Amino acid sequence: MSKYTHFILISWAIFAFSCNSNHRHVENLMIKGSDTEVNLALTLAETYMATDPNISIAVTGGGSGAGIAALINGKTSIANASRPMKAEEIDLAHLQGVNPVATVLGMDAIAIVVHPQCPIQNLSLQQLGAIYRGDIQNWKDLGGADEAISLYGRQSNSGTFVYFRDSIVRAEYSTQVKQMNGTAQIVEAIKHDVQGIGYVGIGYILDKNGAQSKGVKVLAISRSAQSTAYMPTELKNIDSGLYPIVRPLFQYTNGKPTGRLQLYLKYCLSPEGQALVKQNGYFPVSEIYWQQNEQALNRKHAKATLH
Amino acid sequence: MQKRHFIDIAIKWLFFGAAATSVMVLLGIFGMLLFNGVKAFAHISLAEFFFSSNWNPSAYGKPSYGILAMLTSTFLVTLGAMLLAVPLGVGAATYLAQVATEKTRLILKPVIELLAAIPSVVVGFIGIVMVGPFIARVFGLSNGLTALNGAILLAVMSLPTIITVAEDAIRSVPNSFKEASYSLGANQWTTLIKVVLPAAYSGIIAAIILGMGRAIGETMTVLMATGNALAMPRGFFDPVRTMTATIAIELGEVPYGTTHYYSLFAVGALLFLISLVVNLLAENLAGRYRYKL
Amino acid sequence: MKPKLAVRNLHLHYGTKEVLKGIDLDVPENNIVALIGPSGCGKSTLLRAMNRMHDLNPEAKVKGKILLDDDDIYAPGKDVVAVRRKIGMVFQKPNPFPKSIFDNIAYGLKIAGENNKQKLHAIVERTLRSSYLWEEVKDDLDKSALSLSGGQQQRLCIARAVAVEPEVLLMDEPCSALDPISTARIEELMLELKKQYTIVIVTHNMQQAQRVADLTAFMYFGEVIEFAPTRQLFDAPQMELTANYLSGNFG
Repeated sequence: MSKYTHFILISWAIFAFSCNSNHRHVENLMIKGSDTEVNLALTLAETYMATDPNISIAVTGGGSGAGIAALINGKTSIANASRPMKAEEIDLAHLQGVNPVATVLGMDAIAIVVHPQCPIQNLSLQQLGAIYRGDIQNWKDLGGADEAISLYGRQSNSGTFVYFRDSIVRAEYSTQVKQMNGTAQIVEAIKHDVQGIGYVGIGYILDKNGAQSKGVKVLAISRSAQSTAYMPTELKNIDSGLYPIVRPLFQYTNGKPTGRLQLYLKYCLSPEGQALVKQNGYFPVSEIYWQQNEQALNRKHAKATLH
Repeated sequence: MQKRHFIDIAIKWLFFGAAATSVMVLLGIFGMLLFNGVKAFAHISLAEFFFSSNWNPSAYGKPSYGILAMLTSTFLVTLGAMLLAVPLGVGAATYLAQVATEKTRLILKPVIELLAAIPSVVVGFIGIVMVGPFIARVFGLSNGLTALNGAILLAVMSLPTIITVAEDAIRSVPNSFKEASYSLGANQWTTLIKVVLPAAYSGIIAAIILGMGRAIGETMTVLMATGNALAMPRGFFDPVRTMTATIAIELGEVPYGTTHYYSLFAVGALLFLISLVVNLLAENLAGRYRYKL
Repeated sequence: MKPKLAVRNLHLHYGTKEVLKGIDLDVPENNIVALIGPSGCGKSTLLRAMNRMHDLNPEAKVKGKILLDDDDIYAPGKDVVAVRRKIGMVFQKPNPFPKSIFDNIAYGLKIAGENNKQKLHAIVERTLRSSYLWEEVKDDLDKSALSLSGGQQQRLCIARAVAVEPEVLLMDEPCSALDPISTARIEELMLELKKQYTIVIVTHNMQQAQRVADLTAFMYFGEVIEFAPTRQLFDAPQMELTANYLSGNFG
């Protein structure tokens, strides 16, 4: 993943350079962070650059942790993070004279995926937590075959890793979790592992037309053993809040954004930007985050009415 | 005369400077690793660091800093890689240097060297989609993201180094040794095993060490293909997370100046020491054998 | 008398180049035969043909016969390993194996299947004594052969060749890399060895040929020009070419 993103970075650097020769006041923006958001950020940046020739935006991944570290060290204009910044990170930022301000770019549902041959159709949040804590180790305890559960997850630099641990596992992960180097690798591994289970951002499961990728099966998730389970692949389940594993995707800046940075962030939240969010397999910003966004962008913002 | 003398001295210092620079860089790197690594032990006990198998610095609860599991993992993967690569590599080198016709050699050699040109991400990806599933099928595992997967991939990656260096060593065995052996009534195979390979011993050891260095230090491939589970591996069929993978995964996100940050330097320093010891050991071994011959 | 080793109409080509052009030569038993001639005349090539060393070079093509006790060593299906065991060789540059002194000598015996430690020791001692090396190395048998001086190394190589008890010993300029004292010792050794073995030696050193050889062959451009008892060849050469060479007109 990181090699790939380096490639993107270099391509944009070349693009930026070639733009430089044509325009006098080109502003360079740097976006770094969450691998979950990287494809989306790239699409937004490309589309925006087509409308404003005086801006050049470089996008790299590396994980939410890497993006936040870069923001703290003053090495990026925007840190993409699929989790909120931790208290220590905010303290560290203040020590460095950086004042992180969050805007929410969109919503991400985390899908739980298994091999298509797995007979399980749905899990509750409690079951999911127990599986990843290592308390449930065999599929037969969930009504499946008598086989060990093979756990897949992300690495500790991933926002998804932290979000999933803090919101679902609520304890240490089992040491048996195989820490994959990127979401695409979890999907790839699950395709080959009938005993496997993994968590992935929904953007990696749905393509632009909303079609589900082949080779893995998405499970329906319920809030508790008694309640109904919902699929994350249907937009209405996300919008209505019925699907339980949904998180905001953040864009952190140093202080309230101004100038071109502000223009770009506003574009991301405009109906056009939010349409791209949806096209990339994520969901438009939920109601509860609009106020936070408006505060961050320092003006009244018309609510996007996409849904 | 005076001018020539001056040039002599200048050139001598130039080469000394070049040699000194590489030594300084090496010492500098080790010093930096050690300087930062030592700070970790302000908060971690040596006993925990070396004897606990629990590594979880960004824990939900209390962080832990035991390297035993990753040390075992690195050892396991390297050992496996060498068990596969040494017989294969030395065998191939012997074939190329002594048995193959010039035509065969001209075809095989570039192909083998091309192996070295495959980027490690690509090898890692092959490990995920091809070698891993193959291992899973052959050994009846649910998945192939194991130490064995890493060992196989690293063996392939260290083969070009081992073959190229070992072939040079075998090829540079003087023809006169072979002639002497033949004239005493030895056949080709006896000559190869009893004279040529022993004569190339130190070069072959060097080849193996270089290959091993490649295996110990390789990051991307193991990062992708061995599963990276934190648990203590029980064998080649368990997922492992090596020292290099740990550093690569965690260094990108770790805030500067924290215990976690310093502990990664401590792991790096240890990795450096391991390579150093392996190299010294090999040199010693090769030297002693050469003397005894 | 029947020759121990007889070369019959031997031709050798390197690729398209003819290096030996129909050689005939009789080597009588327990004699030393010297091959002399200017560089490139084919004398070393002829010597190496006598224990089939050219087999290693795919470029070299041999035609004709070399008879060892009336038995053609180039006959189809002939076991080349057995041939070389009967016809040993000492090379121009001392080439001991990078092994211990003991292992150098024991090598030929071990590969022939001799594993009895006592027997090996006895043979090593005997051959080292016969090559006048024993007193110098008897306490250092485990030391590397490469730690010996050049002259000692060459005597070790002779001992190594002798240890497998060949019938014929081929020596390719064995003293060219040695100092006069070492050379004298090796010549002394050759005279001792001819009691048991038949020796063919290539040499550039005319005095050496006169000191050790019973018979001498003068070769020129891949042909034997003259082959005669050493004294006769040097004192009264029959051919003008030989006379010219010996008087130093070329070569």
